[in-house]
Amino acid sequence: MSAEESAPARVAIGISFGNSYSSIAEVRDGKAEVIANEDGDRQIPSILSYVEGEEFHGNQAKSQLVRNAKNTVTSFRDFLGKDFKSIDPTPCHASAHPQEHSSTIAFSICDTESSEPNTVTVSEITTRHLRRLRTSASDFMGRSVNAAVITVPTDFSDSQKTALESAAKDAGIEVLQFIHEPIAAVLAYDARPDAKVSDKIVVVADLGGTQSDVAVVASRGGMYSLLATAHDYELGGAQLDAVLIDHFAKEFIKKNKTDPRQNDRSLAKLKLESEATKKALSLGASASFSVESLADGIDFTSTVNRTRYDLLASKVFASVTRLIEGAVQQADLDPLEIDEIILSGGTAHTPKIARNLQSHFPPTTTILAPATTATAINPSELSARGAAIQASLIAEFEHEDVEQSTHPMVTVTPHLAHAIGVLCISADEKNGVFKPLIEAETPVPVRLCEGEREIKISKPEPKTKTNGKATVEDDDSDDEDSDDDDDEEVREKVWRVGKVLAEAGVKGVKKGGKVEVQVSVGSDLALQVVVREVGGKGGVRGNVDKPGVEQNGSA
Amino acid sequence: PVLPEGWSAEKDFKAIGSLSTATQRNIEPVGPHFLAHARRKRHKRTFSEDERI
Repeated sequence: MSAEESAPARVAIGISFGNSYSSIAEVRDGKAEVIANEDGDRQIPSILSYVEGEEFHGNQAKSQLVRNAKNTVTSFRDFLGKDFKSIDPTPCHASAHPQEHSSTIAFSICDTESSEPNTVTVSEITTRHLRRLRTSASDFMGRSVNAAVITVPTDFSDSQKTALESAAKDAGIEVLQFIHEPIAAVLAYDARPDAKVSDKIVVVADLGGTQSDVAVVASRGGMYSLLATAHDYELGGAQLDAVLIDHFAKEFIKKNKTDPRQNDRSLAKLKLESEATKKALSLGASASFSVESLADGIDFTSTVNRTRYDLLASKVFASVTRLIEGAVQQADLDPLEIDEIILSGGTAHTPKIARNLQSHFPPTTTILAPATTATAINPSELSARGAAIQASLIAEFEHEDVEQSTHPMVTVTPHLAHAIGVLCISADEKNGVFKPLIEAETPVPVRLCEGEREIKISKPEPKTKTNGKATVEDDDSDDEDSDDDDDEEVREKVWRVGKVLAEAGVKGVKKGGKVEVQVSVGSDLALQVVVREVGGKGGVRGNVDKPGVEQNGSA
Repeated sequence: PVLPEGWSAEKDFKAIGSLSTATQRNIEPVGPHFLAHARRKRHKRTFSEDERI
């Protein structure tokens, strides 16, 4: 809890460690900033390459994929802490191949000046990569970085985490906590100064280079619970690159009668340039593509416009939408219940993906992507920012504290199965309008559901008769807290009133007055209700017992 | 909203039901609000006690 002075001061950053790209971020003046490395890149390719004993990292290593593919290591994150049989080495076809090495996975690369290849384990590669990231961050911040919060996918196993933690330790980084990538993205949005914490259902679609992950998150009072996750290990930016590779390769064949995809080096050039063209198409309406000496010494130049590209890649875009819809279904939710979709990851820059989602989901759903929301945060930076924010929050904590707070704490909490709210009824009791105060899936204990306005809409004339009282002193709210389910009919979200929990009456509320209802749910599921008129004193209080016997309230 | 005529209860409050069973789920240990929650839980404080400190 309290800062300890004995250990050397922690300098913590947020690291987003991906298969294709990694980024580093720090929190400065309360704002998360993504740090650029010495090449000026904020999205640093997770690639290491060795030329005559010299280590290249990031984009410099990426360009080595053409001439020096054998000594270049890519896509290694998912190999950590796994055994050889369970991995998919496809992304490494064009670079150093993973090999089985005792119980772990290794690469055979010439990383020294001698021409004899060395066997370097995947954890050693990770250590070197993290060390470079750490150096970049330290150089930028002017202080030696020694701790970090690292983001991991939701399906990362414990053995993968352990492997990553020890690799980070070897790189001089103390892992304060592993946090899930989608949660980091939500946090990055919620931590903005202008953001308001509210209860909402958020879908985070992390569209990466070689895989895509979708998570459905319930955000309640600033706390997040995962409701469902979905993964597609084939879907990602690489598939979009492949679309462009095929397109340009066909064009090249038409003119020159050779297929540049047959030759490894030509294919590597095609790949790099296709990715660059794809990125340009996310920003502009057309992009050029040019490779010097693509195949048989022939240069190739061409252009493509976005409409054409959207058409070529429509299948891939459609599977993104399907993946997201699948996750929503898996969470037992309807698209109508989704308040926000956060697009994260490099592929999320693609305008068409965001537009497709916009037409698939109801207009009430906000799509947070650069193409659809002007204030959206750069999707590539979301998880690094979220990690940096978390790092700044827990940097002062002792390791034990973090550990204790994360484990038993998390699992123990029950979540409300149904929403709780007030039934605003009019003269006809059957036409009640249900106003949810606490949404379903809210972890208990909760508080703070105050200030829910309940405006008296009633025209007093007809009612005075039934009430038999003068307009001034009468009117009273009948607040029923009811447990309920939501139902969808004709694609519209409606509330069906469930079990009634309690009734309360506030007498003598002025016409048009507002009534404040506060409901607190204890961790034993007991309720505490306070009802009073805004500005008035006293009010009505009562308790609802935990499931079991019921009892009248007391003041 | 109108109170049905003749509605009364002890101290104007009538408890009728109780919550249906909740589902056990994990909260993600991330963000300032979670940390506040963890602090409360570890020290077994209530919301108002926590605010006073």
